[in-house]
Amino acid sequence: MNWSLFFDLTVSGLTLGSVYALIALGYSMVYGILKLLNFAHGDVYMIGAFIGWFALHGLGGPISPDVGAWVVTTFMFLAAMLGCGLLGVVIERFAYRPLRNAPRIAPLISALGVSFFLQNSALLLFGAAFRDYDSFDLIGARTRHVGNVYFGTPQILTVSGAIVLMVVLTLVVARTTVGKAMRATSFDREAAAMMGIDVDRVISVTFFLGSALAGAAGVMFGLVFGQVYHYMGFIAGLKGFTAAVIGGIGSIPGAMVGGILVGLLESYATGYLPQGSTFQNLYVFAFLIIVILLRPSGLLGRAAIQKV
Amino acid sequence: MKKSFLALLVAAVAFAAAGTGGASTQSPQAAGRALLTCGKTRTIGLLAPITGPAASIGGLQVKWAQYYVSAYNRTHSTKFKLMKADTQLGGPNGNAEALKSAQSIRGNAKVLAVVGPAGSNEVKGTTSVLKGGGLGWVSGSATNTTLTTDGTRTGYFFRTVPPDSAQSKSVSHYIISTLKLKKVYIIDDQEAYSTGLADEVEAQLKAGGVDTTRDGVSQQQSDFSSLIAKIPRDTQLVYIPWQLPPKGQAFGQQMKQAGKGSIKLMGSDGLFDPLFSGVGSNVYDSFFPVQPADPVIKAYKRTHGGSGDYFGAPSYVAAQVVGGAIDRACKDGKASRAEVRRQIAKTKLKSTLLGLPVSFTKGGDLKGGAFGIYQSKNGDFARVG
Repeated sequence: MNWSLFFDLTVSGLTLGSVYALIALGYSMVYGILKLLNFAHGDVYMIGAFIGWFALHGLGGPISPDVGAWVVTTFMFLAAMLGCGLLGVVIERFAYRPLRNAPRIAPLISALGVSFFLQNSALLLFGAAFRDYDSFDLIGARTRHVGNVYFGTPQILTVSGAIVLMVVLTLVVARTTVGKAMRATSFDREAAAMMGIDVDRVISVTFFLGSALAGAAGVMFGLVFGQVYHYMGFIAGLKGFTAAVIGGIGSIPGAMVGGILVGLLESYATGYLPQGSTFQNLYVFAFLIIVILLRPSGLLGRAAIQKV
Repeated sequence: MKKSFLALLVAAVAFAAAGTGGASTQSPQAAGRALLTCGKTRTIGLLAPITGPAASIGGLQVKWAQYYVSAYNRTHSTKFKLMKADTQLGGPNGNAEALKSAQSIRGNAKVLAVVGPAGSNEVKGTTSVLKGGGLGWVSGSATNTTLTTDGTRTGYFFRTVPPDSAQSKSVSHYIISTLKLKKVYIIDDQEAYSTGLADEVEAQLKAGGVDTTRDGVSQQQSDFSSLIAKIPRDTQLVYIPWQLPPKGQAFGQQMKQAGKGSIKLMGSDGLFDPLFSGVGSNVYDSFFPVQPADPVIKAYKRTHGGSGDYFGAPSYVAAQVVGGAIDRACKDGKASRAEVRRQIAKTKLKSTLLGLPVSFTKGGDLKGGAFGIYQSKNGDFARVG
């Protein structure tokens, strides 16, 4: 057993998995509350990555930033999270709310429409060229290692940042009034409304939080993997959705577990399986099929009880 | 109800028959024979990745082709016009964009011949459309060896760059004889150009006693960290014959982040771009023959702020080949696509910015020419072999 390779792959898988987990959380939260597959979520993540890039360059760029590297990085995260949160609210207000009582296929098509709208708008506004975060110059030049296991600041930032965000989200959902309202709305929207909960506001807050997490994931991706581009949301969104389904869509811990699992699976498949880097998607989606066959509601999901 | 269904069915069958009939009964030879009055302004199709991941190199091809047209139009009474179409090389839709663009060029009866496309896979993907329209096409960057050896495009496709069989020889010779390396990791990007070149280099390195490991990665991927984890730390060089400079740049940066920045990195002509050379001084690349001292390149540099934009230079020669062929075919005022094709095959340019005369083999390959090896110095590539 080559332990050095194993630990390198684990670091890589945890990093990628953290990004997927944050995206998966957005899918899961929205599905939990609206039973809607928000296929535009991957593109919100892409917009977050672009907002981070503009924030970085607004503060002087990665090589000689106007303020300290950590101030720039914090600002990038805040800008992307706020920008994406607001974008999520706008998307919900104009693309999904008018269809809330329509057949379920209608908001799904609307979500696909929003996805293409965002992708093409990014192409139009930001151009087709890849934008380089150049995080190596900003925060990545110092590579740390423990024995033969190497990891850089962006990886540490991504994994620890994702853990912090997940804990905060869990606390918000479990311990705050708005969290209680979200759980009530998710359980029974009509009953929640009758109990005096402003359901529209709760749904807006859910979209804000889910989209803000996607924005943070976009910045993390840019910092770790270097580049952002207009169609980056498609495959990442698909993987995030896969992670949400594997973990049990609608379940917050499930989304986290699913994201980390997909990231690790991708990484180990690349490292150990024949032609792994070529066929990593084959392995990931084969795993999804197996999980769904064995546990249709996902690893941590609960089977829905049909009320009659 | 029954009657209207029957009428609809008949209409659909008639429509389908008309559509397929029109498309399938006309051979490429027949499609290319239609005579066109040349007029004062002649149209050349240009297929290039104007947007998408390869836009940084596609833009250079457009600039150089446009430079030929502008220079020609200033000094001739007849004029050329470019019909530009975007192929989005490396984009999420694969060859679909290239195919659509090729169809739009084929459908424009004024287009007599085409410059491009850039990628070898695109050449393969657009062959049936361009050939079906009787068009000749000249690429300034598609190097996959089989494009001119499999017989599919003979008489239709030509290129102003040497094939990968020449590139692979330059690369493996430099690795074995100059760098004297013994352990190389090769990663292709799963496209025709990349796998073909990687196959050739791998075989030559193995024959030269170099320990090689082969891997592959999709062009759509941006996370190379697990792949990089697989590369042993005692590897001396990673060879990435890819065609998207941003991906080469991302790979180089992620190598550094993984603590493997000291391993030499070598790309191919597709990565001959400041994005890749900016990764560091241990970055190498192979590139087409281009003569920087040529008067055309010097003049181009003067008008483009000192930049040679060398990746696009062979596209100038491709436009020069197509332009010359159209001029000769249009001598009597009329020309067909077939005539232009024949004239392309007969091309004999004594002196070009490639630093060698240009004429073609029967298969459409450039006669002569070798790839140079470059190393990054202060962020720019400088020739070292």
